[in-house]
Amino acid sequence: MDEVLAVSRLSAGYRGRPVVRGIGLSLGRGDILGLLGANGSGKSTLLRAITGQIPLIDGSVTIDGIDLADAPERAKAGFGLAIEPHELPAPLSGRQYLELVASIRGCAPDDLPGGDLLERLALGRWIDRPIAEYSLGTRAKLSIVAALLGQPPLLIFDETLNGFDPVAAWEAKRVIAELCASGRHAVIVSTHVVEAVPALCNRAVLMADGSLSRSWDAAQLTEASSVPGAFEESVMQALRTQAAA
Amino acid sequence: MLWRELVAGLRAMRRRDLAWIALGGGGLLAYAIADIVVALHAAAEGLRNDQVLWMLGLPIALVVLGCLAGNAISRLCLSRAFAPFLKALPLASAERRRMAGAGIFALGLPLTLVTAMSVGFACSVIGKPLAPAWGLGAAILFASGFGAAALWRLRQPRRLLDEAGGEAAPRGRPLLRRLDRARPRWLASWAWKLPGGHMRPSWKLAAACLLLATAAILGASASLAGRTAGPAAVAGLMGGILVFMLSLRCQPLGSPVLRTAPIGFTRVWLRLVQLPLQLSLAFFLLPAGAALAAEPAAWSVPAASGLWLLVLNGAYAVFGAYFLNAPFVAMLSFASALAYASYETFEYGRTVLIGLVALVFFLCHRTRQRYRNG
Repeated sequence: MDEVLAVSRLSAGYRGRPVVRGIGLSLGRGDILGLLGANGSGKSTLLRAITGQIPLIDGSVTIDGIDLADAPERAKAGFGLAIEPHELPAPLSGRQYLELVASIRGCAPDDLPGGDLLERLALGRWIDRPIAEYSLGTRAKLSIVAALLGQPPLLIFDETLNGFDPVAAWEAKRVIAELCASGRHAVIVSTHVVEAVPALCNRAVLMADGSLSRSWDAAQLTEASSVPGAFEESVMQALRTQAAA
Repeated sequence: MLWRELVAGLRAMRRRDLAWIALGGGGLLAYAIADIVVALHAAAEGLRNDQVLWMLGLPIALVVLGCLAGNAISRLCLSRAFAPFLKALPLASAERRRMAGAGIFALGLPLTLVTAMSVGFACSVIGKPLAPAWGLGAAILFASGFGAAALWRLRQPRRLLDEAGGEAAPRGRPLLRRLDRARPRWLASWAWKLPGGHMRPSWKLAAACLLLATAAILGASASLAGRTAGPAAVAGLMGGILVFMLSLRCQPLGSPVLRTAPIGFTRVWLRLVQLPLQLSLAFFLLPAGAALAAEPAAWSVPAASGLWLLVLNGAYAVFGAYFLNAPFVAMLSFASALAYASYETFEYGRTVLIGLVALVFFLCHRTRQRYRNG
């Protein structure tokens, strides 16, 4: 099955009030989707709905062929979410956290792609210290490593790549690109770093007011990235148009 | 800040839920007051003449209540006055303490008034002479306990901050590495906030262990001396549930780490209950063994005590999971529910227990729904 994620007519929100409405999205193996949008546009709410953290008001989410509402535990085995850094269990050490996630996923704590990922992300000297002592960037690195444990078919990064140092950002992007090039994984990267999207992603969508307002396919992204600043310009124009409407 | 948090919390709630809380809570409160008035009327004669109650029991209870309330409210106000986002502002420590002091006074004053009115009202219901004076005395005793605890906290705000920030780990092998290996690994260390899985010795832990050990030894001694199973069985039951309540922590149930992982509520909940249950049963064994040795023919007494311990632990595990971020509230709610159900059972028979069981199932259902849907 090539489709890793299928989102159909999705509406979701908080306390019965929809924040995102009528979302339709499909992701195949090899896709790297850049999720863009202003603050409050609904990016995180959409990702929370896809990962089963908030109930769906309408529509459906299917992950690797399994409906999230019908079999939530089996569906959740199909994705790895990079948890927000402040949500990580602060008392545990990095190694203990990886062992916790690995024990849930039923894999070894070193079942990671890309060789020695801990060393590539410069996590080695922190791994036996409590997460409470980590900086924001180190927490984000650990969060990404945990998402990659067991190499699930769908990987979701909600603004996790934003706080990285240049080397870690480069390594993380290389790992993501290698995973998708293998043709077994799909990735969603939610980010405010617009200029990073054409270089990393082969698809992009822009969210505004809780719905998908614009999308770019691989050809459009390639074309936009050939002219410096063209993609940012098109995103800004879309945001301005949305704000004026 | 606290007022704004309360208003924001109320605004975030749905009107339907607010109406339920206002109407249901108001109705329950009215019923409880009516019930208490009836009970006071019935026992008025005995209460009026109970010298130990008026000279010793009530004053001690009011001072202890004041200390507990003062301690809790001071912690709350100090945590806001020393909040991390205020660190960057040019506020001296003395100014922050003054702010916390103003908050403590603003919250303490209505509590003292409520105490005075309650005691004064109760005295007038049972026909105790000088009811307003008793109310005033109660307010003074409550306020002295409240003020002492608040002053102690305000003089040592660092103690509170050190408690909150002391998550740095000692080095060495984690204490729970063998006990915390079941799937999901390290869950108990996370729940107990053990930095890196290491247990930190503290005077609170030592005092709790000493108290529980003393209770177990006293219960066992009483049974062995009197050749009766009762005291040890009761000590085992009470101590066992206390150990379980003090050791159960369920805050990982609210974390997206588990909620977005391929693991269900029941498995996580049972895993969180596992270690506290082992501790509770380990405590129970000494008094239960003593009860059996004291009166071998009455083996059913410790057996029944053990069964009740399992039932109560199961019920509290539901309360603990429902109030996952507030274990003290969970303990208080559980104790109140048990006390209320026991009291009403005397009046209406065992059917009231069905209500308690229904409450436990309802809380379990709500907790499971929250784990799945946020």
